[in-house]
Amino acid sequence: MTSLLDSPQSVVEALRGDRLRRPLVDHSVAAGLRAVLEDGIYGIVGTALLTTPIVVRAATLARPSGTIDLRSSSPSRLRGVLVHQLLRLHCVGATINDALDDATRAWRAQDPSNDLLAMLDRLDDDERARLSTDVTAHWVTFSRALGDVPSRWMPRTSVRASQSLAGGGVLLRDVVDLMIGTVGDDVASVALFDVTTAPLGVGAERVMRYHALVQTLRTSTKPLRTATFSSATGELLVRDVDDEMLTRSVDEVIACVGDRWIER
Amino acid sequence: MTTLVHRRLVAAQLDQLVAESPASPTVLSADHRRSLTARFRAVSTGQHRRLDAWSVEQAGRPDASFQWSPASARRTIGNRALGRLTTTATASLAEAVSDEVTDHLLRATSGYARPGSLAHWLASASAPVMGVVRAEAVNWATQLCEVAVGLEASWQVASNDAYYDVAAARTTLRARRDLVVARGDDRVVVRLRSGAPGKSAGAGLRADLTIETLAHPSGVSPVRFIGLWPEAGVCLAVDATMADLRSGARDLVRTAMVRRRDHDTRAA
Repeated sequence: MTSLLDSPQSVVEALRGDRLRRPLVDHSVAAGLRAVLEDGIYGIVGTALLTTPIVVRAATLARPSGTIDLRSSSPSRLRGVLVHQLLRLHCVGATINDALDDATRAWRAQDPSNDLLAMLDRLDDDERARLSTDVTAHWVTFSRALGDVPSRWMPRTSVRASQSLAGGGVLLRDVVDLMIGTVGDDVASVALFDVTTAPLGVGAERVMRYHALVQTLRTSTKPLRTATFSSATGELLVRDVDDEMLTRSVDEVIACVGDRWIER
Repeated sequence: MTTLVHRRLVAAQLDQLVAESPASPTVLSADHRRSLTARFRAVSTGQHRRLDAWSVEQAGRPDASFQWSPASARRTIGNRALGRLTTTATASLAEAVSDEVTDHLLRATSGYARPGSLAHWLASASAPVMGVVRAEAVNWATQLCEVAVGLEASWQVASNDAYYDVAAARTTLRARRDLVVARGDDRVVVRLRSGAPGKSAGAGLRADLTIETLAHPSGVSPVRFIGLWPEAGVCLAVDATMADLRSGARDLVRTAMVRRRDHDTRAA
């Protein structure tokens, strides 16, 4: 299923979908994907011993090699991190009084020595006011679309994953903003959700596929669906995870490793 | 020869690890305890030292001074929340986590929390910080719950960590444990870790195994000690053989020696 909603009524409902139409949980696909990845990487790196691993992240896949993405500028990253902190607070039912201030406090408690946080501290009053307005606008769009996340769906935020390939020479790292459902069900129920403060582009689909791939490798279980929401435009992109999507992501990861290998 | 088993972290593999653990535990005698005490006493210390698997994995490098944060609070709150969920009629993990945080706050306001404790820190935290603490604790508890619910054997959340005070050596050993799985009359201990296992993960598990055994009143070891790394999707396990226990003890003594040497170097 692919849907692009300009004004989604409830993102959470779209993520969970109809329980009766969910496929049985698939434990069989992960080993094959890992084998294809290992073979593909071996074809690039060969027997070379990498002292520093090639690290692949969602952000690496979001833009093609050798291009510049304005979303990676510091103000955009700052806004993205702050909206992500608000998502974390929202999912545990915390009340947001001042979007910028609350997000900053939450962030500082987790990562007090972050360079971006230091940059935030150096903003003058005008820049800070602009950022506050910006973050609040994104937050209002996002929180209205998301709605309340029922706790029985086991929502967890900022879920990290790290997969080591080629004997530790390649690391796939990933952070999913919000994950709901559990791998213990008889039917597929895990939905992966990302929020971005930029408009959705081609890169967003690559990131969605990457989340699905890393989650499959991590849990050896295929997730139900993967989604991205843009708080800039209110668009929601939802895709059911299937074998074709995972295979495509494997190809993208191998191509990305190839680019990084050439850059070395 | 020491043991180290590596598996993908899926329910079937974990069940197999529990079911196929060694038939019987190893027992540490009073002589073993005396021998270990003598070795620790030989490494003198000016102040009380605390050693655990992390200090072994870090090769004795001194820790940064501890301070509470959402990351350091998640395990305490998350484990207790899962325990609460299994023993009370709490509807969800998120609610259990909220109840647990509330309990800590009540303890602080009623004056039962000492300065430096988790309850004391939570009482002084702002609402957004409290929100992140809850989010981290929910993540932790969910990971542990997914693992535990998939187990066929009966399990319970460990109510506390294992501590062993080495007599007259000013040394306290601590083994973290999150789940205790029953296997007949024996036990398998499970510990949840963040990140991915490093090269010294096996040594860390052996240190945990040794301390867990020393902390048992009769010196009975668990039959297997399993470390889970959900972020990496892997688990490692060590068996309770005498060789593993000896290796764990050696690493702990070595860590004490490195700490002592560092201390002497700084003092000089």
